[in-house]
Amino acid sequence: MKIAAQESPKQRRGRRSEPVILFSVAHQTFAIAADAVQEIRSTDSFAGAAVEFKQSEVAKVRHTVERARRIYYVVNAGVHFGLPTTRPTLVLILRQLRVAVLVDRIERMTEISMVHPLPRGFSGAERHWYRGLAYLGDRVFPVIQPTGFLTADEFQRLDRTHAVQEELAGVRA
Amino acid sequence: MDAAQATARDSYVLLQVGNRRFALRADIVSELAPAVRLHNFPHATPLVVGVIVRRGRIVPVYDVAPVLLGRGSSVHRFYLIARRQFGNATEASAIPVTGECELASGEAHPPEMGRQRYIAGTLPVGSEDVDVLDLDVLLTSAPVSPSREIHRTSNASATEAQS
Repeated sequence: MKIAAQESPKQRRGRRSEPVILFSVAHQTFAIAADAVQEIRSTDSFAGAAVEFKQSEVAKVRHTVERARRIYYVVNAGVHFGLPTTRPTLVLILRQLRVAVLVDRIERMTEISMVHPLPRGFSGAERHWYRGLAYLGDRVFPVIQPTGFLTADEFQRLDRTHAVQEELAGVRA
Repeated sequence: MDAAQATARDSYVLLQVGNRRFALRADIVSELAPAVRLHNFPHATPLVVGVIVRRGRIVPVYDVAPVLLGRGSSVHRFYLIARRQFGNATEASAIPVTGECELASGEAHPPEMGRQRYIAGTLPVGSEDVDVLDLDVLLTSAPVSPSREIHRTSNASATEAQS
């Protein structure tokens, strides 16, 4: 067992700091843990792989992409957060989740020393969207909860619709 | 309840929201802060307009003017920071106020029948009766429509005229 008092300040700093990617959507900046993102692609290079997904179950998803024989759902972050419509130029492909996220741009990579819990006064959907808040320089950013982009229920509905569409496409072929 | 506690219970902070004065129990008020930078980000909680950083803490800011006045408050010069109760825990909460606050003491009367749930009582201050706010109820209240506000204001004017 390690006694906290025996840890050097350097060790404590090392344990706390977390690399994050700062990205923006409709002039709002968000932070996401760097290790939650597997790949960042431009929408131009991604366009060839993305397939239009016509469905009315989850409005923020309009495309899918197949990677390693798994279907990823492409979430428009602007629609997810209820922000004004923009033209996303980048896609963040998340790690360990079948989600790719359309964003406007990457601001930079940086490290945050701690994630402050979201104040309890916030009681809406943002409790699922964010892990908490980061205070960096003189700015406060929400830190994204990657599992918040699509709920288990939304995944189920999308998977069901996708399976039906695949079946219909197979019959037509 | 000892004398000190009783005094604390009878002390109120008078705050100005828009053109009206309200009172909050002084024992839940922490400080009056200058209008520091408001940080906002997408969320879906009514009344919350963002957060401020105060003494290293991130404090949510609630615009209560739509509830109290039926419209947003465009000008504010200070944040009144008070403690909101969440079960056994409390959390600092900031309310934009337009003027400096003052301390008043006295015995608040129970609210009249039919008043909004966030009105905990009425405090006589000079010739004025100031509504005492229940912060926890206020911060979970829905904004009033302008028509309801007009009705309430005209009632208040009628009461003032009668007195």
